[in-house]
Amino acid sequence: MFSYVKSLEYPVKIKNTNPALAKFIISQYGGPDGEMSASLRYLSQRYSMPTPQLRGLLTDIGVEELGHFEMVAAIIHQLTRDMTPEEVKKAGFETYFVDHTAGIYPQFASGTPWTAATIGVKGDTITDLTEDMGADATTL
Amino acid sequence: METMKPDMMPEGCDAKFGVLPACAPLATSWVPPQGMNPPMYAPEEALTRGTLFPGLDLPFMNMVNKSNPYAGTPLGELMALTFMAKELQLYLDTHPDDQDAFKALKDTLALKREGTKRYVKLYGPLRLEDMEDSANYDWLRGPWPWEYCERMGK
Repeated sequence: MFSYVKSLEYPVKIKNTNPALAKFIISQYGGPDGEMSASLRYLSQRYSMPTPQLRGLLTDIGVEELGHFEMVAAIIHQLTRDMTPEEVKKAGFETYFVDHTAGIYPQFASGTPWTAATIGVKGDTITDLTEDMGADATTL
Repeated sequence: METMKPDMMPEGCDAKFGVLPACAPLATSWVPPQGMNPPMYAPEEALTRGTLFPGLDLPFMNMVNKSNPYAGTPLGELMALTFMAKELQLYLDTHPDDQDAFKALKDTLALKREGTKRYVKLYGPLRLEDMEDSANYDWLRGPWPWEYCERMGK
């Protein structure tokens, strides 16, 4: 079960519209090593973990990654919410804008939609933890 | 294979180092675990730096946040306590026998409960259960967390 806390983990307060920057940051939202991948990787791998420590750790990190997912979305939202047509063109943001306008869509920087092909869930402790270290070495 | 328990830190190892067996076999890789009773930052500094533990504070390209934009506000205080509790939870997941850390978690949770009460009175509910004492359904009261707003947290 999950319940929502109506606060970001860390404040996001961006003053200036900057769709050029949003083009890159979107990959941290729905890219291969983004927060969507991170959260679903941990939350899906936890079921086959053999010890209480690992079940707890993957659960609690997976939940934290959902908080990161929300912060990254807030960043993109604030970088793009007041875009003018000129800013969209100047930033080369048209290819995103034509499909999603100022909506927050989980995709790679290259435009590929988020896909579960970016995560590994094998039911084997060493394999899964090795994948986690490769994808997100600083949190595990 | 003999490994040292995390609390048996050898001479000369500070919090930036983990523990290895004194004599490690060839062609075996090791991940040194974080030791027991690690030094900790104060809550505000932990939130600003992105980790509670100086030993795990290894910033990418040495880039570090200068300060939390809500520092000194009810929301900033609450964010710092929430982050501290989360960090202690993750630490305790792998060090469940560290009684000092568990006490720190309990103290943090008590402060967080008080901070939440103060915040909710001023700005409205953060969680469903915070509406227990609301006069009306004020869940929809803005700003939402992703809406940049100077008013928020002041």
